[in-house]
Amino acid sequence: MTLTAGPLPPVSPPTARERRAARRVGMLGNRRKGRVHPLRAVLPVAGALLIMVAWGTVARNSGSGWVQALGAALAGVLLTGMVWPALALRRARVHCTGCPTDGSAGLPVEIMVGASARVRVEPLEPSGPETFVGPGNRSQRGEAGIVTLVPGGRGIHPSIVVELATAAPFGLLWWARTVRVPLPTDLHIGPRPGTALALPPRHDERAGESSRRIPTVVGEPRGVRPYRPGDSRRWVHWPATAHSGELMVREMEGPTAEPILVNVILPSSPVVAEQLAGRAYATVQELLDRGSPVLLGTVEVNGPCLARVADRRAASRRLARAVNGSGPGPGEITVETTGPDR
Amino acid sequence: MVKRANRPGAPEHSIPLRVASAAAVLTGIAATRAEGELSTLVAILTGGLVAVGMVFSYLTRERPQGWVKPTLAIAVVVAFSWFFYRITSHTVTDISAVESPLAVLFAWIQVTHAFDVPARRDLSFSLAGSASLMAVAAAQAVDLAFGIYVLAWLVFGLWGLMGMWRSASEGGRPGLPGVVGSLAAVAAVALVVVAVLPAPHVAQNISFPSASPGDVAIPGQGTITGDGKNPNEPAKAGAPGGPTQVGGFLGFSKHLDTALRASLGNQVIMRVRGSSSSYWIGETFDQWDGTSWISTGRNLQQVGTGSPFGIPEPNDQNSPGTPTLQTFYLATYGPNLIFHAANARVVWFPAGHLFVGSDGTVLSPVTMGPGTIYTVQSSVNQASPALLRGSSLLGDRLPSGALKLNTQLPQSYTRVANLARAITDTQPTTYDKVEALISWIGSNTHYSTNIPPLPKGADTVDNFLFGSRIGFCEQISTTLAVMLRSLGIPAREAVGYVGGSYNPITDLWEVRANDAHAWVQVWFPGFGWQSFDPTAAVPGADPTPGTALLRDAGGPLSRLPVVPIGVTLAVVTLLVVVRRWWQRRPGSWEEELTGRIERVGIRAGRRRRPDETLTEYAGALDTLAGDRSGTFRSLAWMVEESAYGGRPPSAESRRRALETVRSVRIDRGPAQADQPAQAVQPGR
Repeated sequence: MTLTAGPLPPVSPPTARERRAARRVGMLGNRRKGRVHPLRAVLPVAGALLIMVAWGTVARNSGSGWVQALGAALAGVLLTGMVWPALALRRARVHCTGCPTDGSAGLPVEIMVGASARVRVEPLEPSGPETFVGPGNRSQRGEAGIVTLVPGGRGIHPSIVVELATAAPFGLLWWARTVRVPLPTDLHIGPRPGTALALPPRHDERAGESSRRIPTVVGEPRGVRPYRPGDSRRWVHWPATAHSGELMVREMEGPTAEPILVNVILPSSPVVAEQLAGRAYATVQELLDRGSPVLLGTVEVNGPCLARVADRRAASRRLARAVNGSGPGPGEITVETTGPDR
Repeated sequence: MVKRANRPGAPEHSIPLRVASAAAVLTGIAATRAEGELSTLVAILTGGLVAVGMVFSYLTRERPQGWVKPTLAIAVVVAFSWFFYRITSHTVTDISAVESPLAVLFAWIQVTHAFDVPARRDLSFSLAGSASLMAVAAAQAVDLAFGIYVLAWLVFGLWGLMGMWRSASEGGRPGLPGVVGSLAAVAAVALVVVAVLPAPHVAQNISFPSASPGDVAIPGQGTITGDGKNPNEPAKAGAPGGPTQVGGFLGFSKHLDTALRASLGNQVIMRVRGSSSSYWIGETFDQWDGTSWISTGRNLQQVGTGSPFGIPEPNDQNSPGTPTLQTFYLATYGPNLIFHAANARVVWFPAGHLFVGSDGTVLSPVTMGPGTIYTVQSSVNQASPALLRGSSLLGDRLPSGALKLNTQLPQSYTRVANLARAITDTQPTTYDKVEALISWIGSNTHYSTNIPPLPKGADTVDNFLFGSRIGFCEQISTTLAVMLRSLGIPAREAVGYVGGSYNPITDLWEVRANDAHAWVQVWFPGFGWQSFDPTAAVPGADPTPGTALLRDAGGPLSRLPVVPIGVTLAVVTLLVVVRRWWQRRPGSWEEELTGRIERVGIRAGRRRRPDETLTEYAGALDTLAGDRSGTFRSLAWMVEESAYGGRPPSAESRRRALETVRSVRIDRGPAQADQPAQAVQPGR
């Protein structure tokens, strides 16, 4: 049996915020524009100039040295307040102290970011809401603050791009700098689950037994082995773990059931590709929930990849790595079953 | 856009920020009151209302009351109506006429604004508004006491700005280096601006304020009086603390006794705002009796029916000059002489009339005490040496009466005349003769105020020239005048003040009691009376604020007691070093041995890592030293057994352990030195 994804809903264009973020990320490659730059400088600078001109007029008309001295102090405050943030921003250092390994497009991901000075951090790639990190009331110097990312699409992020901004210490003019912050571990952003393909009901569902059925691990137990990252927690063999002192999992024979092949070809349009990947992810989830072994076929940077996915996270990561425009046409998801009851 | 600008901001919950803003505004009101722009009642009323308004705004920041804005709008309209009524109810000639109503208006706007400051942006407007109050006050400030208000306002303002950043950054806490650095930057920029900018000399087309609080009519029309409190006494500008035990300058009277030099104090007599420094002349003397100068030909006449007063040009001063303006702010009681630069032409003075002498001396009919302000427009005739040299060709002559008066001598002064002729014999012109005499006096006499009073009956000039040749300005200038008169050149004695020291902050020349001075005026055909100062041959330059700051800073620094300061610094440094050593000394035997082991490792290029136990570190050192017996590890075991095992070694063992580690050296070969710390594996 072969299933194919149906028509997709209309695509919404990127928001202004996303466009702005993309533009600023693009500046990273530009040596000049990627440096410290003022934000919305016209009003503060014009205001400061106006104040100084007015002050100079008063000094000129009054002939008072005190007016000039006060004006000099005011000039010092204004100039320092406008230039100091640029210097502070040049010295400011941010680093990521912790982040999850997986996330979903469109859903928030929280990472821990530490900073040497109080700065406003606005994630640009992946994007997210701005927040303040660095020494403050509730955090000591260098202690990390939480930065929330809301990735717009799939991908693997060894680093994130953020815009740092500060107006310290007088808050007169904001300066910003775009930096790339390496992550301690790669952040895999899988697709946001969409609507699964309409899979045919299971054999036992037709008999009304599906509610009693518990998904089991495919294959027969062969022995135990030490835990490896990616192993399901359901495979943990607790007696062996207690005996050996380290986490042991059951090792299975190869699956006895025929796997279901889910082949995903993503179109070149990023938005459509996201939606298609989301549907594929939801379909794989449903198949896994049924206990079916799933072979997921995608096209990655290195070429086509067809491999079994053991759980949702593996499926999410595979789809995160899948590249757009891997085939001609608008893209498709095909689900191929071989057994009569699958 | 307008909607966005008018959108209320988020309520500001920071109390420190609100306190800082309120304090800045209150400081502005206090400063304005201190400079007399607000009455005490208005200052108290507006200050109290600002405080109440700030509290009200804080309490209602999340639930703004609907009636507040309309009420405040009405209050603002009333304030502006009052202001326009005040400035249109009489003729406004200059900006100074609207300063006081402007200050009241600014204060009132601050009051109304204080009742509606729920958000951070509103508080920033309060801070900016306080600057306008400070500007009004600063425009009137003439002394350094205003610096207290400036300092307070800057502290509150910067505190407020930092509070705003703290609030905007959701609790950002600027570190101490950042705060200190930014404040230092503010100070540096301010100093550079003060030093670089030219002084804000006032425009020439506005009239100056004049006031004379508590003035009292002086008895005896046209007489010179003293300190205002005792009108029969001469001026008392200083305290009698010197060897002569005479206080106050003795010249501001009808006569000038050159036998005595008063001990003059350092207090500020007056402050002068002018485009440049000058000799502020008070009066002149024409008759010399051998000891004192007396003014005989002054012929005072009453002028004017109200300010400003036009001063008639003396008959013997017929040359045009450049007009300059000076405003005098008196700081103490003094004589009723109206000081001025060169020749006074117009005087703005708060009196019904003035007295003017034929020599240009201007007298006030009322006492002049602290707070008296008057303005003089002078005509400064700065003829060049070349012009003065050629003046004899003009053929102009003093009237015979004036010539006789200004060449008068009480005796023949044969020795003086011979000396003067010997000095000036080869000089062709009057100007050259004057310069030659000044040069000779400068080379052959010395200045000192610490000399005994002249013996009774002695002639000042004879005693000075043919005696000690040490004297003070009155004696030196008198000597020049007498020498000139002995040559038939008309000369007279002038007294007043030298320019004073320039204060770059207030842009005022501060004239002190010990700036009282005497100099000589010589008459030149076509140019009138020209001043010469034999006491100080080099006239004071007009300083820039930067040079004044450097001078003010350099003077005290050069007079610092270097040795006591050096000793104090050395003692403090020693104490700091001892204290650090005391704090860092090992508290126990274990700490000492650990420290010694670590020092051996550091010398060998192997520093202890933070995550390394002493035993691991000692093992690494043994490996580094190739010591199979494990000397360092056994020492480390001793430490750990003692510290954590509760089994301290004997005193002998301790001593030997310390000796051992003291004698151990690890040869640092090139391979070992480059060995990374992680490569050394402690034996386990």
